[in-house]
Amino acid sequence: MKARALVRLWSIFGEPLWIVVSMGFPVLSSLAFFLLYYSMGAVSYVGFAVLGGVMVSFWGNVLWSMASQFNWDKQEGLFEIYLTSPASISAILIGMSVGGIIGTLPSAAIVTAFGWTLISVLQLPVPVVGSWLAVALTFALTLASLYAMGMTLSSLYLVYGREAESMNNVLQEPVSLLSGMYFPSVGTFSPFPSAVQIVASLIPLTIGMNALRLALFSTPGADTLALVFPSLAILAAMAVVFMAVSAYSLKALEYKGRKDGTISVRIR
Amino acid sequence: MISVRSLMASAWMGIQHDLAWTTPLASLLLQVVAPFASAMSVSIIYWFGTRFSPALTFDAARLAFVMVGSTLYAHVAAYAWVPTVAIAEGKNLAVFPHIYLTSRSTAVYVTGRMFSAFAISVATSMMALATAYYVLGSMLHAAIPLVVNPGSVALLAVALLANLPGALALGYLLGAYSLYASKFEWSLPGYVAGLLMVFSGALFSTSILPWPLSTAADYLPYTQFIAAARSAIVPGTGVDYWASIVFSLIGGLLLMGFSLWVYLAAERRARRDGVLDRRLA
Repeated sequence: MKARALVRLWSIFGEPLWIVVSMGFPVLSSLAFFLLYYSMGAVSYVGFAVLGGVMVSFWGNVLWSMASQFNWDKQEGLFEIYLTSPASISAILIGMSVGGIIGTLPSAAIVTAFGWTLISVLQLPVPVVGSWLAVALTFALTLASLYAMGMTLSSLYLVYGREAESMNNVLQEPVSLLSGMYFPSVGTFSPFPSAVQIVASLIPLTIGMNALRLALFSTPGADTLALVFPSLAILAAMAVVFMAVSAYSLKALEYKGRKDGTISVRIR
Repeated sequence: MISVRSLMASAWMGIQHDLAWTTPLASLLLQVVAPFASAMSVSIIYWFGTRFSPALTFDAARLAFVMVGSTLYAHVAAYAWVPTVAIAEGKNLAVFPHIYLTSRSTAVYVTGRMFSAFAISVATSMMALATAYYVLGSMLHAAIPLVVNPGSVALLAVALLANLPGALALGYLLGAYSLYASKFEWSLPGYVAGLLMVFSGALFSTSILPWPLSTAADYLPYTQFIAAARSAIVPGTGVDYWASIVFSLIGGLLLMGFSLWVYLAAERRARRDGVLDRRLA
């Protein structure tokens, strides 16, 4: 686990230009949605755009550097090395997650700093009044459950070949929409009907984004920790469930792949 | 000389790459999902911002503005990935070495792939727009004002075609980078897509950007294309359709000439340095 995390960290921090490159889309998309809120006069919500930009960095990392990583590793011939090593695949995935989270933090920090600077320069009334303890707990549990979902996706993608990239393209935007990356997608402020909200709630990012908005932008004087506690419990449960599902599906699909002789086929 | 046969073969290869990974209808429908979700996200941001800000009132015409703009943005952004996929993935999967071995310039291949991406993107973005129109209309209980008749559809088609040189320009520029580099090539299209989101006037008027960025954004062929295409189907945008078409076409042609020159120079140098078929340049 530690070895895989170090490889990922070294690949990012050993080439500092990676940080500049990886922050491009999150910063610019966050800026676009910031300006969209700003242009319509809904200035008190520009913070939602900044928060969305921070979390979209992690979602992109989960999708492209976790879920489909094994597919790329197969093409590079790395996956065979994982299979022949005594390390468990789950440990490798956890290491990949830890490395991915730490490696994405600079990009998320840059989005935050950029948004904060813009809010200060434009002197916008963004009410950041929540509890930082609640924010930290929510952020940590959101990432834990999100990366656990990434591990599950990664195991499912073992059966895919190049379709993995197309599946990622299909998943990226709808999950951003349903999870309410830039607006509340569940609860009183959601535009979605109840059935869609229920489906959206199965995605850890939905619960996490909702709780993060509550933790950061809640009403002054409110007990923020108590407000987000149910979400924290759900996120913790989701992390455990996704970890268990990923461990099971990894074993099952690895067995199937070995049996069929397709597990390390590079191009399918 | 450009061979029509090579061009058609490259376009067909693009169609095969993009649609034949599963059944063509399923892959076409799956490609509608991203622009549809993108149009929904942007439109809901507008709805949410106006619905829950006491001083603001919801305007269905403005909703149409952002919904159409985001769909057209998705249409343009779709091109940004094509040269990277064609060249960088082509190198990884050993397809590209077979292209450069032929007597034709690889620019023909990139052009063909851009044509196929254009055709697929037109189909998927228009399907996404139609779906978003009905879903948003029923979900937000809003009568979204769109002008859809043979005349407006023809004007929209003309605007889409006028953007073709601009699309090719983007393809050649990004392709030139992918020819020579094997680092960061997957992130560069993300930057371009992000820049277009901010500077193409898709989601908001470019006038809110500080000068000289607002002026520079106005002269981008993509900004003019989005303005023209939007004015064809959204009433009351106050845009001179034909002026935007002319600006989009001229700007696109100028940019395409420059980008093609850059691409051909990069290709010559890449051949000379022997990096064309190298996975790690």
